[in-house]
Amino acid sequence: MKGEGPVGSIAAIPEIARVTFRQLLGRRRTLLLILLAALPVLLAVAFRVAGQTDIERFSHRVFDTITVTILLPLVAILFGSGAFGAEIDDGTIVYLLAKPVPRWVVILAKALSAMVLAVALTAASAGLSGVIDLVPAGSDGVLATEAQVLAMVVGSVCYVALFLALSLFTRRALVIGIGYMLVWEGALSVLLPGIANLSIRQYAMGAASAIYKVPEDTVRLSSDTAFLLAGVLVVAALAIATWRLMRFELPGGTD
Amino acid sequence: MTTQLAPETVPPTQPGSAPAIELLHAARWYGNVVAVNDISFSLGAGVTGLLGPNGAGKTTLLHMLAGFLAPSAGTVKVLGQSPHRNPSVYRQIGLVPEREAVYPFLTGRDYVKFNARLQGMRDPDGAARAAIARVGLEDAMDRAIGTYSKGMRQRVKVAGSLVHDPQVLLLDEPFNGMDPRQRIAMMDLLGDLAGAGRTILFSSHILEEVEQVGTEILVMVAGRLAASGDFRAIRALMTDRPHTVTVRSSDDRRLATTLMADPTVFAVELTPNGLSVQTAQLGAFRRILAGTSRSAGVRLLEVLSADESLESVFDYLVSR
Repeated sequence: MKGEGPVGSIAAIPEIARVTFRQLLGRRRTLLLILLAALPVLLAVAFRVAGQTDIERFSHRVFDTITVTILLPLVAILFGSGAFGAEIDDGTIVYLLAKPVPRWVVILAKALSAMVLAVALTAASAGLSGVIDLVPAGSDGVLATEAQVLAMVVGSVCYVALFLALSLFTRRALVIGIGYMLVWEGALSVLLPGIANLSIRQYAMGAASAIYKVPEDTVRLSSDTAFLLAGVLVVAALAIATWRLMRFELPGGTD
Repeated sequence: MTTQLAPETVPPTQPGSAPAIELLHAARWYGNVVAVNDISFSLGAGVTGLLGPNGAGKTTLLHMLAGFLAPSAGTVKVLGQSPHRNPSVYRQIGLVPEREAVYPFLTGRDYVKFNARLQGMRDPDGAARAAIARVGLEDAMDRAIGTYSKGMRQRVKVAGSLVHDPQVLLLDEPFNGMDPRQRIAMMDLLGDLAGAGRTILFSSHILEEVEQVGTEILVMVAGRLAASGDFRAIRALMTDRPHTVTVRSSDDRRLATTLMADPTVFAVELTPNGLSVQTAQLGAFRRILAGTSRSAGVRLLEVLSADESLESVFDYLVSR
């Protein structure tokens, strides 16, 4: 009963993804992420129940200060860096790599798994918040909600790709990711507008501007530039991750 | 494979056939630390034990064979191919790593099926059932691996590694955590696989494990291949080596005089801690010691074998 099936094809992707989902969802930190994703939705409900008069403005502020600044990077970085990180730490990556499956298939399966989970959490949070607070305002609210969901999709995909690749180079990918989120995107990109080209948050907001007029002080890239840079980042990160995985060696030792 | 100490190259088991595993002057170092040092051997079908103390380089050698480490020098080939950066070779290799961790959230059956699917098996469910049956885990196959004992985890790892019926099976300390009954079953399984023409290399630091499974052994010490060949011949070398026994008695000087007349003893030294006795026949010496001391009117207070550790056995082999 030799392995003669579709080895090396994308047929391995659902199998690897199934295990990756369970790895990522089985952690306690995932529960915290779900609670964090629920926060904008709870705030949206609170605004609506309290009968806020300027509810759209409040909703946009929550999106800017919580959803896109904290929730999006935190969720995507945790899922991206965790897709491989735990397996490398505990050695179970051997069971994945000692198989006749091309490394690019392994990377694609891992990345897709983390991206699906990150998009599901962040887009659901932004979408539900928008449905509660923005959609009732009419077509403008619908567009704003769609734009926020698009920002979550673009941002999640970019963060996951970048930090999945980084996790194959260092065990500190999560720490670096949080540093990137706080220092680079939180502080430097505000002080130095020129580095917007290297900010995933700007890619997300730039993408959103394709379907909704995003306030000029929060977006510094055109939608075309944002999509282009996001695409380049994802392709480059996954290519580098594949290259790295092909050269992966088990942690050394003298035994 | 011939029996020899510190061999240059060991011929394959079946002359004329290509060896399944072949190393030629293979070495691996990490910075200044040499983990595997200029090792050459080749293996054909059968079970071979890779024996050595902790830190000897056994795991590094197995990781090189499994393609997870590139040799720093020399060549490593499995079934005629370099396994490094060559995922296709895993169609014919099964690997059981030393690390205990297995996906704790999967059931045993799901884990083995996962391996079967990634191997591209046409009937992963049937292949998984057959592999699980071979390691005797049917009763626990629908339980999460996280609930398994150490021995059960070892067995499910073995099931996952042989689900695709590989030609070469590499096992790193496979008997760790197994109870005696499980060990015997696993040894029988490895014997059966070898009988079916598979090439099996397993590592161990326990002499008795290797003795019971592998008639052929490789002995590694400090990164080098210290001995290889038939186990019985190497065992004889180990048994016939000089042993040092420390004896404390009521009158060490008188006992030393008596022991020097015994043919099993070839040196006696009087030390502050008692007598240091050199013998090449440890068992025979132990048998005569009580009678000799009694006839000399000396009372034995303590008898210690100073060099019974496996490390001392390996040290002896290296120094030959």
